[in-house]
Amino acid sequence: MPRSTAHLWFIAPALTLMVLILLLPIGIAGWLSFTDYSLGGSGYDYVGWKNYERIFTRSTYEKMFGATFRYVGVVVPLSMALGLGAALLISSLKRWGDLYKTIYFLPVMAALLAMAIVWEFALHPTIGIVNRTLEMGCGTALERLEFWRAGCERTFPLWLTDRDTAIWTVAFIGVWQGFGFNMVLYLAGLTSIPRELYHAAEMDGAKSGWERFRLVTWPMLGPTTVFVVTISIIRSFQVFDTVEAFYPQGGGPSKSVYVMMFAIYEKAIQQNLMGIGAAITVVFLGFVMVLTLVQRRLVEKRVHYS
Amino acid sequence: MASITISGIEKSFGDARVLERIDLDVAHGEFLTLVGPSGCGKSTLLRIIAGLEGASAGQVHIGDRRVDGVRAADRNLAMVFQSYALYPHLTVAENMLTPLKLRDLSARERLPFIGPLLSRAKRRALAAQVQDVAEVLKIEALLGRKPGQLSGGQRQRAALGRAMVRKPAAFLMDEPLSNLDAALRVHMRAELAELHRHLGATFIYVTHDQAEALTMSDRMAVMMDGRILQIDAPQTVYDDPAELAVAEFVGSPKINVLPGEIDGAGRAFCLGAPLSRFIAAPPGPVAVGLRPEHLALVDASDPDGIDGQVVHAEHLGSDVYLHAAIAAGEHRVVARALPAEAAALGVGAPVRIGRRRGEAMVFAPSGARLRFVQAPAPARTDESRVA
Repeated sequence: MPRSTAHLWFIAPALTLMVLILLLPIGIAGWLSFTDYSLGGSGYDYVGWKNYERIFTRSTYEKMFGATFRYVGVVVPLSMALGLGAALLISSLKRWGDLYKTIYFLPVMAALLAMAIVWEFALHPTIGIVNRTLEMGCGTALERLEFWRAGCERTFPLWLTDRDTAIWTVAFIGVWQGFGFNMVLYLAGLTSIPRELYHAAEMDGAKSGWERFRLVTWPMLGPTTVFVVTISIIRSFQVFDTVEAFYPQGGGPSKSVYVMMFAIYEKAIQQNLMGIGAAITVVFLGFVMVLTLVQRRLVEKRVHYS
Repeated sequence: MASITISGIEKSFGDARVLERIDLDVAHGEFLTLVGPSGCGKSTLLRIIAGLEGASAGQVHIGDRRVDGVRAADRNLAMVFQSYALYPHLTVAENMLTPLKLRDLSARERLPFIGPLLSRAKRRALAAQVQDVAEVLKIEALLGRKPGQLSGGQRQRAALGRAMVRKPAAFLMDEPLSNLDAALRVHMRAELAELHRHLGATFIYVTHDQAEALTMSDRMAVMMDGRILQIDAPQTVYDDPAELAVAEFVGSPKINVLPGEIDGAGRAFCLGAPLSRFIAAPPGPVAVGLRPEHLALVDASDPDGIDGQVVHAEHLGSDVYLHAAIAAGEHRVVARALPAEAAALGVGAPVRIGRRRGEAMVFAPSGARLRFVQAPAPARTDESRVA
């Protein structure tokens, strides 16, 4: 039987594109991370592991990892929990469900750059609506709380410009912006749970909502949760536009919001240090890759039932 | 184990009335089938008994206890669903353990990690119960598998096991066999009936398949358009249907319905031929029902026969059902014949079909059954001989 080469023609376009726009750039980034290349420079030198050494020893990059992991650590669980909670509440509504869906989904659709400006105004230490509202609590019973007493005596938190609160504030905005998307995913997951399973649970004696949730809803949402976790992790690792909008000059108060994507941008584009930029990119890719694989191994085995 | 009494149950969805004043008594240990075409309200009635749906009016008693307003979880009934509704993330054993855990363990004993430590002995007893039921159903080998790894018949058994394991007051079954293939369905019919005898429990079984109702139940309730038309033993329902709709629904192939009339003397005629018995009803048109086995091929010389033409023959091996066009193609009847008789008859062959004596059923135009009165026939011997 003559061997046909037709199959090569079928996969060739996809294969070519994948190599050209995916594998090749990653390979080049990998190579550049071992050099001191800069854009427009006449030549470059091979520097070995020097770039990586810097990433894992210098304090700037320590801050980078700290900011990134804080952000991911807050945004992923909170946006998941809020998304699931909102989806459960909305799916239990008989009316107005669509209205709530729209409201919660609005931040997802809005341009984050524009929203960042709004948040910047709202969180302004003196004229922002947040601190103005908090000030109204001064002189009332609320002042008995430690937070208010300190706020009224001196000043309420500076939010975006205090190095202790900046990353949490940015993470809060990330949650606000992202949980609507998770809510939509969970809503879709909820509709695919067969009604009969709830009836079976009722007949089996699951009386409280919590028992039904544990017996039916949560396990049946397993595949959705895997997807939501993966997507949320990757999206929060990629956070860039809020940071760039709030702190165009270098990653927030004492670099407390210096997340990885912003570091790549600052090093490689603003300072034209392609080598170190490429090295951070490779580390970033590694993180996402490892997390995705671990998460797949751990969770997927237990959530696909057929 | 308990009896179940339903009185005056009504159910409407908005303007649509689904159930109209249903009264039903299910004795302790009885196998009662609710049978009817889809949309007749049988599943709704079952769900009202289960407590998964509220009735618009009426009462349900389980044993001596009135259960309207008691939620399904507290009624101590078990249900087998059409889709089985097994929890896909749990193994068969865990599925069967779930109702036991939810009922017999306290909230504290059900806590993860600490719970099993607090209730070791109890849990061991529950696992033993699961094991016992698995043995009865012969599914011990499947206990460690998840529903996704089971065939339809095995899932069916697992669902039965989950229902049986906590010894409920009654079993409710919502078309549990309809997702199985034909051969397995016939097999499971026998097994379910056997299981019922073994358990001695009250079964309420919903199906649209009249064959399941006929083969398994102690009594069957034929439902149509939200009403129960007849409740009786299967053979009685088949032999002595109370309404034309029941006669048409029960029996396969379907009963033959031919136009007839009653004359002034109370004598019924079918296609112009008189029946032997009399009916106490005013004269007018009626419908005459004849089951396929009440018709037979007769000699061409038989004076009582009706001429027809074979349009189709269903060979079932032991029997042949001949579909014949009679009265110049205006009506069709199905007659049962022996394979030997029918072997030579191809499509288009002329046949002569005769009625067996005393089997015809007469229905009023409203569908109600008109009973024969055993009045002696007048001395017109030439006609009384017929049919």
